[in-house]
Order: sequence, then C-alpha cells, then structure tokens
Amino acid sequence: MTFIPQVFWEDFFKGGRLACARLITAVENEPEALPEILDRIIPGQKGGLRIGVTGPPGVGKSTVTAALARRAVRAGHSVGILAVDPTSPFSGGAFLGDRVRMQDLSDDHQVFIRSMASRDGHGGLSPATPYAADILDAFGLDRIFIETVGVGQAELDVLDCSDLVVLVLQPGTGDVIQALKAGIIEAADIFLVNKSDLQGTETLLDSLRFLMDISPVRKGRPFPPVVEASALLDKGMDAASAEVERLIQDCVGSGRYREKRRSRLEREIRSAIQRELWDGYSALAGAGESIRAVAEALIEKGGSPYPYIHEACSRIRIQLVDERDSRGK
Amino acid sequence: MGNRTKTAWAEKYEAGGVRDADFTSISGRPLEPLYTWEDLAGSDPETRLGWPGEYPYTRGVHPSMYRGKLWTMRQFAGMGTPDQTNERYRFLLEKGQTGLSVAFDNPTLYGRDSDHALAAGEVGKTGVAVDTLADMERLFAGIPLDRVSTSMTINAPAAWIFAMFLANAEKRGIGFDKLRGTLQNDILKEYIAQKEWIFPPEPHLRLITDLMAFCAEKVPQWNTISISGYHIREAGSTAAQELAFTLADGFCYVEHALAAGLDIEDFAPRLSFFFNSHLDFFEEIAKMRAARRIWARAMRDKYKAKNPRSWLCRFHVQTAGCSLTAQQPEINIVRTALEALAGVLGGCQSLHTNSMDEALALPSEKAVEIALRTQQIIAFESGAANVIDPLGGSYYIEKLTNDLEEEAERYFRKIDELGGVVKAIEQGFFQREITRAAYEYEMALSRRKKFHVGVNEFANLGQKLEIPLLEIDESTERDQVAALLRTKAERDNGAVRESLAALKTAAAAGRNLMPPLLECARRYATLGEISDALTAVFGSYREQPFF
Amino acid sequence: MADRKIKVIIAKPGLDGHDRGAKVVARALVEAGMEVVYLGLQQTPESIVRAAVEEDADVIGLSILSGAHMTNFRRVRELMLSSGLGDRLLTGGGIIPTKDQEKLQEMGVGKVFGPGDDLQEIVEYIRANARRVPG
Repeated sequence: MTFIPQVFWEDFFKGGRLACARLITAVENEPEALPEILDRIIPGQKGGLRIGVTGPPGVGKSTVTAALARRAVRAGHSVGILAVDPTSPFSGGAFLGDRVRMQDLSDDHQVFIRSMASRDGHGGLSPATPYAADILDAFGLDRIFIETVGVGQAELDVLDCSDLVVLVLQPGTGDVIQALKAGIIEAADIFLVNKSDLQGTETLLDSLRFLMDISPVRKGRPFPPVVEASALLDKGMDAASAEVERLIQDCVGSGRYREKRRSRLEREIRSAIQRELWDGYSALAGAGESIRAVAEALIEKGGSPYPYIHEACSRIRIQLVDERDSRGK
Repeated sequence: MGNRTKTAWAEKYEAGGVRDADFTSISGRPLEPLYTWEDLAGSDPETRLGWPGEYPYTRGVHPSMYRGKLWTMRQFAGMGTPDQTNERYRFLLEKGQTGLSVAFDNPTLYGRDSDHALAAGEVGKTGVAVDTLADMERLFAGIPLDRVSTSMTINAPAAWIFAMFLANAEKRGIGFDKLRGTLQNDILKEYIAQKEWIFPPEPHLRLITDLMAFCAEKVPQWNTISISGYHIREAGSTAAQELAFTLADGFCYVEHALAAGLDIEDFAPRLSFFFNSHLDFFEEIAKMRAARRIWARAMRDKYKAKNPRSWLCRFHVQTAGCSLTAQQPEINIVRTALEALAGVLGGCQSLHTNSMDEALALPSEKAVEIALRTQQIIAFESGAANVIDPLGGSYYIEKLTNDLEEEAERYFRKIDELGGVVKAIEQGFFQREITRAAYEYEMALSRRKKFHVGVNEFANLGQKLEIPLLEIDESTERDQVAALLRTKAERDNGAVRESLAALKTAAAAGRNLMPPLLECARRYATLGEISDALTAVFGSYREQPFF
Repeated sequence: MADRKIKVIIAKPGLDGHDRGAKVVARALVEAGMEVVYLGLQQTPESIVRAAVEEDADVIGLSILSGAHMTNFRRVRELMLSSGLGDRLLTGGGIIPTKDQEKLQEMGVGKVFGPGDDLQEIVEYIRANARRVPG
C-alpha cells in the first residue's frame, strides 16, 4: 500500500472498519508505508485517550480490559482495544485468543477490537502497536485500551504510548516484586487488584504501600489509587472504571495529557528523522553491506569503529549540504 | 521355562531383526515386545484380580457376567423431529435392540429452544429436538416406558429434560418406580471436553445432587448419572487420561453428594460410567478392568461405602467415533467390530456400536442395522460371551491394567494438588492435557508413525463415496419451530409464568429444584424458558480457550 | 513484504462444542508461523465476519460438526461479500458429506476438510490459498 488511493482515505475517515483494519495491517507489515500513513493520521487525530493495561501473566488483563471497555461504552464512548499476544520465538506464529474474553463487546458497533502479535517487540507491545493506537485515534475512537502481552518481562513500552496505565495484580503470587523490578510499579497510575476474592489481598496491599513509601521516584507524588475487583465475577469493576475515568479527567485537566501527547509527537518526529536519514544514508552508501564489512574487519584486525562512523556522518553532512545547494540554485 | 529371564531371551529377539515401525500404543505408551510373569512380580492375583462379582471386581461386576445376562445392546439414536425419531426407535426395537438411547440435537443439549438465533441450521441435525413436554410425548408415543430402559444423553439441562420425561410418564399413568434408564447428567466432562454447559460449575453440580436426592426417593431404578470418559477420549485424550479424568469426576460427584448430606449407600449404587472403546484393543480392555478396580477401592476405602453395590463400576461402552474415517467408509465396520469386541472383553454392561457412515453424516437405517448386527455376531457367533474375563491372567493385559492404574493414581495426585476437579477445570489443566495429546496424535498420523488404513496408508486415491447417506430435510427446522410456537399458543401462559417464577424462587432459596422443574414441565414451559429462568439466578459461563 | 504473516480466524459457529479439530488445526497453523485469532465456541456468522474485518484476516476457517454447515458457510460467505472480504479464503472442516462439499465450492467456499485429513495438508492448503493482495 505504498500509495494509498484517496478513496481509501475517504472510506477510512467516514468510518470504514475494513479500511481501518487494513491500515493497521499496513503498519504491521510495511514500514515503507509508515510516512504516508502518519502524514494523514497525525493531523486526523481526535484526541482519544489511551489507557494501557498491563500486569503479570494470568492476572486477567483481558477480562479487566473487557470490563473497563464495556463501561466506557455504556458511558457513551466509542472504544478501541488493541490486545497484544506473544509471537512464538520458534515458529514466528502467534496464538491470539483475547477476543474470546471480549465476546459481548465484539458485537457492539461502538467498539473496534484488534489482536496483534508481538512480532519483534520486546517491551510488551508489537512495534506497530503505537501506530495502531494513532490509527484508532484518527478513526475517531475516544477510549483506546492497549493490553500488553503479559509474559512477565519488562513491559515498559506501554508507558510511552498510553496516557494512563492500569497495573493489574492478583493476590498470593508475589508478582509485586517482579513488577517492581520491571519498574512498572512506579509508573502505574492505578493498581487494580483483580481476583480479590482470593486469599492474600491484604498482604498484597501492604507490600504495595511499603514499596511506594521507599520508592525515590514516587517521592512527593500521591499514592496511586488501589481498587479491589474481580473482573470475572464483575465485582468492583464499576468502582475501577469510575476511578479510571476520574484519572482521565484529571490527566486532561492538569495538562498531563497534553504533555504526554507532546512527548509522543516529539518521539515520533525524532524517530521519523532517524528513519529518513538512515534510509537516505543506506541508499547512498549501501550501508548494510559496508557496515558488515567494517565489523568483519574489526574482528579480523582489531581497532576502533569510530573512523568509519565519523566518515559516514560526514558523508551524510556533505549530502545534506549538496542538497541544500542544489535547492538554492 | 526354567530360570531363563526376559533379558536372556531379548538377545535372540534383537538378533532376529525388528521391523522399522512405531511399537507404542495408540496413546503413545511404550510397549515391550513380550510380557512375562516377571512383569507381574509382586502383583498378587488374589488381591489384584479377585473373582468375578467380588472385590475388587477387576474380572467383572457380576459373578456370572455374560453367562447370566448379555450386555444391553443399546444404539444411540435420534434425529429430526420427535416423530421421526419415534419411528427409528420402533425400527430398532423390532430388530432386536434391548434398550433405547436418546440423542438430542445441539440446541437441546445447550438448553436452547429450536427458534433460538444460535440454533439456526442445527435443529434435528445431530439428534432429536425437544422443546417441551409435547415433544417428549411424541418421542415416546407407543413405547412401553415401563418395560424398555431408556438412556438419555443430556447434560447441562438434564434435570429439566428428565422433568419432561417424568411428566410424560405421569400423564400416561406409569409410576415413577417402574421407570428404568440412565441420564448422562455429567457436567464435569462438559467443561473438560465437550463444552456444552449453561451455568458455572457449582450450580450445575447442585442440580445433579438435587436430582440424585429426588431419584433416591422417587425414581429408585434410575441411574442418575453416567460419568463419561467417552467425550474426553473423543476430544483427543489418551487412554490413561480418559480413565483418570473420568474417575476423578466420579469422586467429585461423590464428594458433592456427601457434602449435600446424601447417604452414600443411597446414591452410589445408581452411579454408572461410560467409556470409549478405541482402536488399541488390549489397552482398552486393560483400561476398563483398571476402572473397576480403582473405583471399588476408592468407594470402599476412601468413601467408606459398606454395601458392595456401592463399589461397582458399571459402565456403558461406545466404540470410538473419532477412529472412523470418511475415506472408504465400509472399512469402519471392521474398526467398530474390533472396538466392540474390546468393550465386551472389558466387561461392559451395555454397548453402542457406531455406524460406518458416521464420519460423514448421521447414520442411515442400513448402517445402523449393520452396527447392531456386529454386536449380535459378537454375542451369538464369536464365543466371546462364553467365558468370563477370558483375557484375565494374560501377562500383557494384567501388566497394562496395573500400569494404567498407576498412571491414573498419578493424575489423581496432580488434580488434588490443583485443588480438585473444579479448580483444575478453571485452570485449564484437563483441557491443556487433552489438547496436547490430540495434537501429538495428529502429528503422529501426519508423520506416518501412526496409521489410518485408507487414509495415510493404502489410500484409494480418487475413490468416490458410494454409500447412501441420511439427510435431514431443511423442513425439519421449520416443522419443529412451528410445533414449538403452536404449543406456546395453546398452553396456559399465566400458569407457565407462575411455575417459572416459583422455580427462580426455589433456585435462589437453595431448595431441591426437581419439584418446581416438574411443575414447569407439566405446564409445557419450554426448555429455553427454564434455562433462562435459572440463568437469571445462576449466571452463565464462558470458557477461556486453553491450548 | 518479507514479514507478511498469514492471519487466520478460527471459529466454531452455532451450538457445537466439539473443538478438538479447531484447536488442533489452530495449533498447527501457529507452528507453521501463522497468526491465529481463535474465536472459540458459540459464534454467529455475524460475529465471525465482524472479527475478520477488524483483524483484516486473510483466511476464515470454520469447524462444524453439527450438520449446520450449509446454513453457516452460506451466511458467512454472504457477509464476507457484503463486508468487502470477497477476496479472502473461507475454508473449514467437520462432518461434511461430499455432495455438500461440492455445493459449498459453488458458493465460493474453498476446500473443506474431514476426519482423517492430514494436518500438514491443511496447513499447506491455507498457505497456498491465503489472500495475498499487496497491502
């Protein structure tokens, strides 16, 4: 889809679901289409709020996401859900099973659900997930839930691409320590203790409070709200949803939302420039080949890579100057 | 034999050359080339085998077994409307069948009416549709319910289908004490394998104990539950998993009934089982023998039942539907014959033989007749029924029986560690084990380590299918929906509403639900209306897929 | 396009709980490097096609052992056409008589598989016939 026809965009901005789905497929599979897509998507963004849902494996993230999404729909919002599941490192395939837990939502026309395989992503999302969120935003959805893989590693990508992060925990598993190590506990905006009918809820809450007290990052910031719930039994989820909504309003009102959006845009601009420069340089110097040759030589004969790096950068600078001059004429 | 050992013999065996083939059982069990007395060392025949009709019943539940009474030849049947199925029952009884077995269609199995949106295209397809008492009346019209035993394969809505069955008997003036038969009523294996449920496990388990309590008092000859491994096996389990998961389900029912305050001697003799008979002849026979021994020991020693009738693992056997192939359907007759013989040598109390066309469609009349004749040949021509437990004492059979028992015990420990059957279901333990086994078997077929004759070996390429198949006419659904609407128009709708409200009240109050269900049935409340009323109290259930 | 993964929807329409085949095939497809969206039990044709649209699936695979194959395949195919998924592969398996298989093919359904069919053959069929329109 390197040249996307105008009719396709018209279809997308009129609410064509298949057009939206195909754009997500494009950002998943065709990095070369990204500039063209972002060029239309970023101006089209409508300010949908992005809610990350993360937590250790088996805590019920999908069920929590579904329960929150259901309430958002009831409150009159249009809802997007991006559910990420792990890609098998052996086969490259993926089993995407989150829709099963979102059955009742998938018949609602206010909802758009997309399952994504994590592919090359290692931070709990797929590399295309942030762009998929941009697409759903431009599509006009005003609450976008992003559910991470949840296989236990550091799933920090969700912090960058969400306005608000819900950390789901469950009693009796010692997950708090893992979450602390991963750094996510300090960034979460709300703790949702799921399956709170299980034993050990009090212990979990105690250790959360203790960890907050000793966290230097958290110093001076209020202790995030803790909600006890059982998403499967649909208990406590009204309160959880109300709390999420309150935090969203807070986030928008306090200017934090604006800050988040700004830093997302900054990051995107930065990485787009990097991509463009890199693509330009690769084309210029056959970079893949020459970098490999340099690396081989370093192993063979030893030495520093910096002479090569300096040379490459000056080539880019010369190229830029040439381009400016030729435009000037 | 002298003092030669297997090791000494094995050298000769190796030297003789061995085919390049997979010598594991169909469950992937490694097998030795030969079994001898050495494999049974330490296994005392007196305590491990005993005598037929005596503890631990390894050799059979009755002292006289098939010399006393042949197994019941019970062909599972049902299709289309109740009238069409009624016709098939009369045909089977005329051909010498000795008991009825009702197959319901999918909407009925899920407790949904024939006009439900999800029922589209399924009404009467894989069984008979029953929506109200009116259908039950037509289904059994002219059949002497006090003389023929009736088995009903129904689980999630078993209690209200049974209520309709009772209401029909009542209308015909047949006393409940005369009724003989079996309800499958095994909800645990639904969560484990067949996936036909309405509520979460706990309310379903309560309905089962309600039914047990009701029958112990009012329908004493009725088998209230048929604890089923059949579907677990069809879902792809191994023989050991089928054995272990089925018996574990059985223990779970016993524990629930005890917790509900029932007396073990009242309900245990009415428990029955249902096993699959797959293609691996000896493994299947050993599985059935092991089941009797494990059950008897648990009932006597763990659950402290005193009456020997409470120790008996009586079971029905059905040949393996999943072993049939769509290719060269006629050879399914041979597969079924071998599986049926295994069921008989395993000591079953009743037997269903699949028809050759069941990988393609519901069985035709001709195919059903051949399947029934297969049983009759085993019973009357083969001589298999002349001697009790004829394979007892075979080194191989006895070793396999011991091994399967041990494997089952290992699974019981694992299930206990997970917190019992219901917890293990919620954690997807059974589902994962079965899915893995199913996948491994398919891969073995794909890699040609295991074979299906006519499919991945000796295939007749391009062969056209030439057996006539039964077709369910598209008009069946229309007729059934029309009949449902007619019943709803003719009944006293105020009375129905009243009975449904009373049912909800009883459900919420924790009272035995059989009396209010019977009242709903009498007033022609529909299956779906009853399901909805109970769902309002009990909630519904959705499974996470486990791989 | 090097990384273009085949995305497959696997679903069981209607009231049929026999999910052995659906699960075994789903697993085989994942092991063959495909991305499988498993919808599970009790799906309506509407919910299946709805998911296929949102997932931009290349293939829809239905598993039907309930005898309701004509009704369900027909309805899913109609909805695919009206949703712009006419170029995607609709395939499946179950207890489906040869005569009906032929009728299904006339409707635009691909090959349907039955008991005994080889897993690898199913994987290869899907790989060879999955929609591969650029973009």
